[in-house]
Amino acid sequence: MNDYRWEDLTLGLEHGFDAVFTPEMAAAFALISGDTNPLHTDPAYALAAGYASPVLFGLLTSSLYSRLAGVYLPGKYALLHGIDIDFNLPCFAGDLLHCEGKIVFLNEAYRRFEIKATVRNHQQQRISKALIRVGFHV
Amino acid sequence: MDNILEDLQPIFRDILDQPDLVVTRQSNAHNVDDWDSLAHINLVTAIEKHYKIKFALGELRELENVGDMIDLIQKKLGR
Repeated sequence: MNDYRWEDLTLGLEHGFDAVFTPEMAAAFALISGDTNPLHTDPAYALAAGYASPVLFGLLTSSLYSRLAGVYLPGKYALLHGIDIDFNLPCFAGDLLHCEGKIVFLNEAYRRFEIKATVRNHQQQRISKALIRVGFHV
Repeated sequence: MDNILEDLQPIFRDILDQPDLVVTRQSNAHNVDDWDSLAHINLVTAIEKHYKIKFALGELRELENVGDMIDLIQKKLGR
């Protein structure tokens, strides 16, 4: 886990990591969120809708943005203020995903910064993009 | 100065999610709904981006209302 302080941050500083979600993770997300929509939980329904397997929840794959801020940028001292997310493409359990983000704005007065981030699949297709607003809790 | 107030209207409406909001020089966090601390940071960030200026924390702490913010923006823009 990184432990960047405000003074360590610069425009353009970036981090990224890979991740894979399993069907069990998707089932756990359905349980936690209560979102039991069949597109995400029912293989037969997903197949009939034109997908080879259930589509991963957008907010599950977007949890990678939480990891990006809380573990990498800035890491230990992060306090997430907000995220604007677009879901560009579906993705599926087993897909190799890559999340990366770069600092694009620094607000000196309140020590809050913004990260432009994406989640892409192994074909480099953009699954989602986000603008993440992050401060520090200490 | 009036132009700055007009510039700020869409910023406040967007950040505070109030399409019909009209702020005046007397508007502040006490008399505008949902102007909480996070919204305040978002407002300051949006204003910095709009005018390509930077505020110091000490400057922001002295602001009591939108009118004070307008005066500070005007000062930074050298108008």
